[in-house]
Amino acid sequence: MKLNSAKFYKGMNLTIFSLMMVFLYIPILILIIFSFNDARIITGWQGFTFKYYIQLFQNATIGEAFRNTMLIAGLSTLISTTLGILTALGLENKRFSGRKGIIGLIYIPLMIPDILMGVSLALLFNFTRVNTGMFTVLIAHITFCVSYTVIVIQSRLEGFDYSLVEAAQDLGAKPSYIFWKIKFPLMMPGIIAAALLAFTLSIDDFIITFFTSGRGFDTLPIYVEGTIRRGTITTINSLSTLMIAFTLFLVIVTKRIRKIIVSAL
Amino acid sequence: MQSTLQSRQDRRRNLSSWLLSLPTLIWLTCFFLIPYLIVVIYSFLSPDIYDVKFEVSLDAYRQIFSGDYLRPFLLSFRLAIYTTLLCILLGFPVAYFIARSKEKTRNLLLIFIIIPFWTNLIIRIFSWRIFLAYNGVMNDTLINLGIISQPLEILRTDLAVILVMVYVYLPYMILPLYSVLEKLDFTLLNAAMDLGANEVKAFFRITLPLAVEGIFAGTLLVFIPALGAYLIPQLVGNQQSLYVGQVITYKIKNIPRNWPMASALSLTLLLLVAILLLLMYGLYRRHQKRSQWQ
Amino acid sequence: MDDIILENLSKDFGSFRAVDNVNLVIKSGELFSFLGPSGCGKTTLLRMIAGFELPSSGAVRLGSKDISDLPPYKREVNTIFQNYSLFPHMTLFDNVAFGLKVKRIHKKEIRDRVYEMLNLVKMADQAGKYPNQISGGQKQRIAIARALINKPSVLLLDEPLAALDLKLRQHMLIELMNIHDAVGITFIYVTHDQSEAMSISDRLAVMNQGQIVQSGPPDDIYERPASIFSAYFIGETNFISGVVTAVHEDYLELDCQDGSDKSFSIDSSFQSAPEPGSRITLSLRPEKIAIARNKPRYQEDINMLKGQIEDILYLGTHTQYIVRVGKLKFRVFSQHKRVYFDDKALDWEDNVWLFWHDTDTWVVDMAGDETPDADLNESGNLQRYVKRGKS
Repeated sequence: MKLNSAKFYKGMNLTIFSLMMVFLYIPILILIIFSFNDARIITGWQGFTFKYYIQLFQNATIGEAFRNTMLIAGLSTLISTTLGILTALGLENKRFSGRKGIIGLIYIPLMIPDILMGVSLALLFNFTRVNTGMFTVLIAHITFCVSYTVIVIQSRLEGFDYSLVEAAQDLGAKPSYIFWKIKFPLMMPGIIAAALLAFTLSIDDFIITFFTSGRGFDTLPIYVEGTIRRGTITTINSLSTLMIAFTLFLVIVTKRIRKIIVSAL
Repeated sequence: MQSTLQSRQDRRRNLSSWLLSLPTLIWLTCFFLIPYLIVVIYSFLSPDIYDVKFEVSLDAYRQIFSGDYLRPFLLSFRLAIYTTLLCILLGFPVAYFIARSKEKTRNLLLIFIIIPFWTNLIIRIFSWRIFLAYNGVMNDTLINLGIISQPLEILRTDLAVILVMVYVYLPYMILPLYSVLEKLDFTLLNAAMDLGANEVKAFFRITLPLAVEGIFAGTLLVFIPALGAYLIPQLVGNQQSLYVGQVITYKIKNIPRNWPMASALSLTLLLLVAILLLLMYGLYRRHQKRSQWQ
Repeated sequence: MDDIILENLSKDFGSFRAVDNVNLVIKSGELFSFLGPSGCGKTTLLRMIAGFELPSSGAVRLGSKDISDLPPYKREVNTIFQNYSLFPHMTLFDNVAFGLKVKRIHKKEIRDRVYEMLNLVKMADQAGKYPNQISGGQKQRIAIARALINKPSVLLLDEPLAALDLKLRQHMLIELMNIHDAVGITFIYVTHDQSEAMSISDRLAVMNQGQIVQSGPPDDIYERPASIFSAYFIGETNFISGVVTAVHEDYLELDCQDGSDKSFSIDSSFQSAPEPGSRITLSLRPEKIAIARNKPRYQEDINMLKGQIEDILYLGTHTQYIVRVGKLKFRVFSQHKRVYFDDKALDWEDNVWLFWHDTDTWVVDMAGDETPDADLNESGNLQRYVKRGKS
């Protein structure tokens, strides 16, 4: 009797899980399929074609948006990760007088809807008469990424074996030598995790970029949204499929990277 | 009796911690705290078509307090509640299923959940537009299968908004739930059943209370962003019922602009979020006190 | 090479005094141990010598140089950590070479010296491995090589054998002694294991609650304990308390209560003459007591007591008897020699005679502050009965 009901519940869970998988993946699969569809609007299958992919690569605006996205993502990852490292190191000292305050300051942005950060930054740039464009977007991205990088690196630092630092000191190494030769290499997995997170958040962001980019500077999400709104969606399918492929690529790469790092240690 | 040597070293360490945290501190002050200050200031000013007039005016707050903007807030609130509840209802079984799976399959399953999550937000919304469109795939398939005769008009309704919201926010609920359920000792359930409880009772008395922490975390990650949602209502929603996120965005981006109004609305939203956070914190503390045996 | 001098050294953590006014000179080249129960302050003391803790008051000197506030990387002191703390992301070679690389020594010289050290600890063929690929004992040896390559004046060892199993521990103990003889520098060893400390040390210090209770060569501390704590912590002993009835030139007479209304009288030698009428406590090691069924012939300097065997523990090399005298219990170790005073082996409930030479007792407490209870001779917690004396 018990076995049967256990199987029943297990079966139910499995059903829900499978339905969930369907729910999660069907729209995406449709997207991918239709990117090869030879039709201008989504009505029925009209033949397999690569032409929208070709159009995609010929589209200069998309190319520019892509470059902008990568540029912003790269720079904001670099800067926010560096800030994350510095702050995590500062927060290591448990008796640090500013610890609670700074941790609070870092957690608050995570508790507030994105749109408010977008609004506040838009108003800031207006108030200070700064022209919106690449720099304002960069500033915005760093601002929302830094909380994440600090938290990721700091949580990895929690389990750090401090006796290794003492051993290095004992052997004559000065603090700066210890940092670069002992601490930094052992922090690397956390740093890479933080950087990946920041990168992903940055290329994905819409709403904050929307408020801080103004006319001339488009990132990929901004461009895609504009295109969807205006209705000229022929190349969006192809673009989306490529972006999905890129995501898959990133997922596989991160697993690989993590394996490499772990074995290098 | 502290020695001076020790306290000197302590002070030095404290100073270096301050120096290390300073860049981030300055950054967040300039680009997080101060902007909110400006929002407060702007909320008390007068609107202009393109910009803001530096004349004090309480118009924005007057309109809010007189209930003009009640509808967007209620709609957003309702959306957040539905989204969160559905995420819990759908997410819990999934998280449970993964937590109960063998170690090897777990990682694979998690990756399957995460891949859509890593896909760009706009793409995911867009894919639903295609799917739900009047002449889109879903309707075509359903008509072909004979289930319906007329295409369903789901797109551009509140239902579509909730649907896509759940779709987007589900991973945010599944992951915290999973991380809590993973640490659960499932032999406790066996002990309960041994003592006479059936599966349902065991679930409600053992699994659920221990999973509450995961539900708290997940709710935090779903409810609050849902309150400020803009993109999903904008792309799949009904333009007649505007959510708070949309109202604020229109006041900032569309001509004629009304930045004081947008600021005031933003602050109101902020206040709501703050109240909610305090409530949740209070509930969490109460839950912790009750389960001190843990 | 220089002596290590600890001068009025104290360390407080908030209101907790971990090290209390320690004064000690550790001679250069010695193998010196700090022995004590957990929490006695020995590790804190070691960390102050290494430089990981700053003294709250007092000083640490290396010869004439005050090193109390020098950071660890400026002291000619190296430490072997309890869990070895080998750098996980570096090969064994790089681990050992670390101290030299810091000093920017020439690559070739590094290579030579590292292999010299690896040969000393017999790990030269594993130089390319990583710490997670070797065993505990091997990690221990690499830690030693890593420390000694820097030619420190002093090597500090923080419970280095704690993580090893028994047989390996015994083996490594001898290895450490050999290395000490080979290298000739001062070793400062911290442990809670008395057999380790006793076998390895030239001199040792017994610590309790932040203070040094007694220091000296191992046999000194064992045979001539300075306090109840020393006698109790090292090895086993019997405590005999009583009132001094007479003090002669080279012995005293003690009148002891046996817990019931009876009393007995014993003689003992003494270090310094106590006051007649004062209450003192003697320590008597179990192996010094002989046990027999028949009353031995009277001899002037032999104490004799009658008692009954309550417990017998066969321990292979010797047998432990618990003998009841009145309400007191005496622990007696009797080695298995073929020469017995009787023919028959002793059994439970036998009436026996305990006898020992009156120079085998040692006065451990003269002030009467620390008065062990009759219960003390059972396995009890010493802290309950020992109050802080003035010393």
